[in-house]
Amino acid sequence: MSGIGQRELAMTPQAPGKGLRKQEWSLLILLAPALLYFLVYHIVPLFGMAMAFQDFRIIGKSPFVGLKHFKELFGSPSFMQVLANTLIISFMKIVLFFPLPIIFALLLNEVRSSFLRKFIQSTTYLPHFLSWVVIAGVWIAFLSPSTGGANQLRQLFGLPALDYMTDKSSIRWVLFTSETWRSLGWDSIIYLAALASISPSLYESADLDGAGPLQKMWYITLPELTATMVTVFILNLGFFMNAGFDQVFNMMNDSVISVVDILDTYVYRIGLLNMQYSISTAASLFKGVIGLILILAAHKGSLKVTGKGLW
Amino acid sequence: MRKVKTPAAEMAWRCFIAILLLAISLVVLVPLLNLLALSLSDPGRVSEVRGLTVIPKGFSLINYRVLAANPLFVRSILNSIYITVVGTALNLIVTSMAAFALTRPKLPLKRLFQALIVFVMIFEPGLIPEYLVVKKIGLMGSLWAVILYKTVNVYYLIIMMRYFEEIPTSFIEAAQVDGANYMTILGKIILPLSKPALATLGLFYGVFHWNEYFRASIYLTDPNKYPLQLILRQFVVLDDTASLIGSGTLFSYNEAARLSYDALQASTIIVAMLPVLVIYPLILKYYARGVMEGGVKE
Repeated sequence: MSGIGQRELAMTPQAPGKGLRKQEWSLLILLAPALLYFLVYHIVPLFGMAMAFQDFRIIGKSPFVGLKHFKELFGSPSFMQVLANTLIISFMKIVLFFPLPIIFALLLNEVRSSFLRKFIQSTTYLPHFLSWVVIAGVWIAFLSPSTGGANQLRQLFGLPALDYMTDKSSIRWVLFTSETWRSLGWDSIIYLAALASISPSLYESADLDGAGPLQKMWYITLPELTATMVTVFILNLGFFMNAGFDQVFNMMNDSVISVVDILDTYVYRIGLLNMQYSISTAASLFKGVIGLILILAAHKGSLKVTGKGLW
Repeated sequence: MRKVKTPAAEMAWRCFIAILLLAISLVVLVPLLNLLALSLSDPGRVSEVRGLTVIPKGFSLINYRVLAANPLFVRSILNSIYITVVGTALNLIVTSMAAFALTRPKLPLKRLFQALIVFVMIFEPGLIPEYLVVKKIGLMGSLWAVILYKTVNVYYLIIMMRYFEEIPTSFIEAAQVDGANYMTILGKIILPLSKPALATLGLFYGVFHWNEYFRASIYLTDPNKYPLQLILRQFVVLDDTASLIGSGTLFSYNEAARLSYDALQASTIIVAMLPVLVIYPLILKYYARGVMEGGVKE
């Protein structure tokens, strides 16, 4: 928040008494629709989370049961499996995926032809804007054991057809690969911007010193990218408990549910399909609190390392 | 100039990078073009379309005609357009009003509201409590439950606040001296100066609404109100081929017996991504730049 706002405060003639109050009210009225939205979709549901500590009843008062639902959750092997799935899938999508957009940006940065550059950018950014329903449809078709492109490639190498979508040992890699397909290009933008802001004079003086391309990469490019890398990594860590509901929801099926069921799909299934509102909300609350701690830690970490927080 | 590569090695290195990156582009494009080819192929030759085929075998619009004759499908497109247009307009109005109020120094309780925004950003309430609130206020089954979801996206709100802060306050002060109130200043000065930001966020919000299916699936009960993405999910992800064909249309085409479910599903996917493809050039123009400047990643 720059000093502009302060200046406005100092320079605007202060209307006395009633006038000022009227101005304040008009600002509050402008803010009111947004506040109403936050109230309905964020604040009131927050209080509703108290049901995690109750046996929820639609009619009548819901009795307080303390940590009963949490004990039930942590005592259930299926929930522990869900938790493990969430952490594994998040690890793949955050840690394993992390270097890929950086490498992509570094390679793209080497492309001189602006036509080629634009073509590669326009094609690789596109999947970011497709819904996960569309992407799931595309991937189900591409991985189809009978007609899909992936199995056509396998045939070229003499391998037998494999139904990736229903194969327990493949499905997490399907999630990882389709996430990469969707985000590789888009997530490289932030690194491309950082690369573009590196002063060319650094490279020129390195040239004078006789540095080769690898040395320039190691001593100039990577150090200049470090702040961006740290910010992106820390920010993503803050969302570790998410693991990508829309993707999993649209790509899972009964054959593989045991290895891809994550917290959010569990909350949906237990809550809305099985109508176990209290247990579902207990799982949400658990996820929310851990997520909150992670994001606050990410904020602190980011402030410490780069001097910039998340807000 | 000792360690500089020879021109030939340099050339080979650049060719290698270009080929690698073009291969990545192909990995993105081929599955999409394959579905397009499948959807446009002659029904009799659909079996010739393999997974890596990108040119239609023969040409036919039969799949699209079957979809166009399916009332559920047509209805869902209209619903999606309605949700997207009304939703995006509402998003822009509410977000810009809030962003303007939040960037005025005179706003009472400003710090409280700023804290609220941070809180909304970092803590998601559970699905069930939200579901019960929507039910309680009587929005269940209504398109409004879907339209109102994410009326204000806090990340976009912050982008808009940053944009508004860049507008010189002298414009605002001059108008205030002339006796203009905040509504007039927002409508006559701030918004006309913020067209690029409005365009960018309009695209953000528009794509979000067009792609939304989950809230629709839990809040809507009448299939006639379903948006296209939800119908797509039913047709393709859940593989509900019976409603994909549509009972009334099955016998109205001679070719119907030869129709391929795969081709019909491919056509549905193509229709569902078409609006995104149409506005994609605009997105590239505004979006990429906006994200780079705002530095906010979602």
